[in-house]
Amino acid sequence: MTQQIYVNLPVKDLERSKAFFGALGYSFNPQFSNQDGACMVVSDSIYVMLLTEPFFQGFTKKPIADASKTTEVLLCLSCDSRAAVDAMADKARAAGGSWPNPPKDHGFMYQHGFEDLDGHMWELVYMEGMPAQQPDTADAAI
Amino acid sequence: MKKQLAVTIPVRDLARSQAFFTALGFSFNPQFSSEQGSGMNISDDIFVMLVSEPFFGTLTKKPMADPRTSTIALLCLFCDSREEVDALAARALSLGATLPEDPEDHGFMYQHGFEDLDGHMWALTYVADMPERAPAPLDAATA
Repeated sequence: MTQQIYVNLPVKDLERSKAFFGALGYSFNPQFSNQDGACMVVSDSIYVMLLTEPFFQGFTKKPIADASKTTEVLLCLSCDSRAAVDAMADKARAAGGSWPNPPKDHGFMYQHGFEDLDGHMWELVYMEGMPAQQPDTADAAI
Repeated sequence: MKKQLAVTIPVRDLARSQAFFTALGFSFNPQFSSEQGSGMNISDDIFVMLVSEPFFGTLTKKPMADPRTSTIALLCLFCDSREEVDALAARALSLGATLPEDPEDHGFMYQHGFEDLDGHMWALTYVADMPERAPAPLDAATA
């Protein structure tokens, strides 16, 4: 299997969401973007497709859950430093996102996160050194 | 540092889900696994965290959407051939997953997908040759 993932998320206002994630520093691949969706580049193997709700609905017979009221998935991105975590969280709030939780400092790991304009939850994590032993809870990796 | 992504999804029965994805050929990282969750390797920079529903509930203040009755995200993985797409979909079906759609052949791209034991939607895609231009519908890169 090739080592790429496309995470497809529904958004209410594609232009607004593109502007939001653009303000966070992400670029978009025009080859896979049109009026129905935008392909956000996280890395050369990780992409997030922001899709209009009507287009997203075409892929599933189930109704779209409202991300502002419920959660079904969390997306966790690695950052290069604590400062990078804080900087991206700040940019997200400045661009209209919200912070459901304060930053957490686990010593070996620092994390913060934001909810985007549609309520999708993004975690930002910096890991200083991998722990020698797994911690009590699974949230070391999430 | 290469960017990493961990997608965290709730599951009702962690052991059963781990067995399901193991049977599909995925490996798990014991360092990121406990009784509350299992870290599944997609690649060296992409992970899916299967976590128990109670633990998932501690990660968000919002109620959990039920993936069996609603959809909030689609996870799309790329395969190396049409045969791999079909083989994975068939194996998923035999393990208790469902195939909500028929496979679609777009010529340059072939795709199928399954809903896992909890209803999370996975798309499997093989792209023969990347098109010069984005096709009219956007689904070249998506589910």
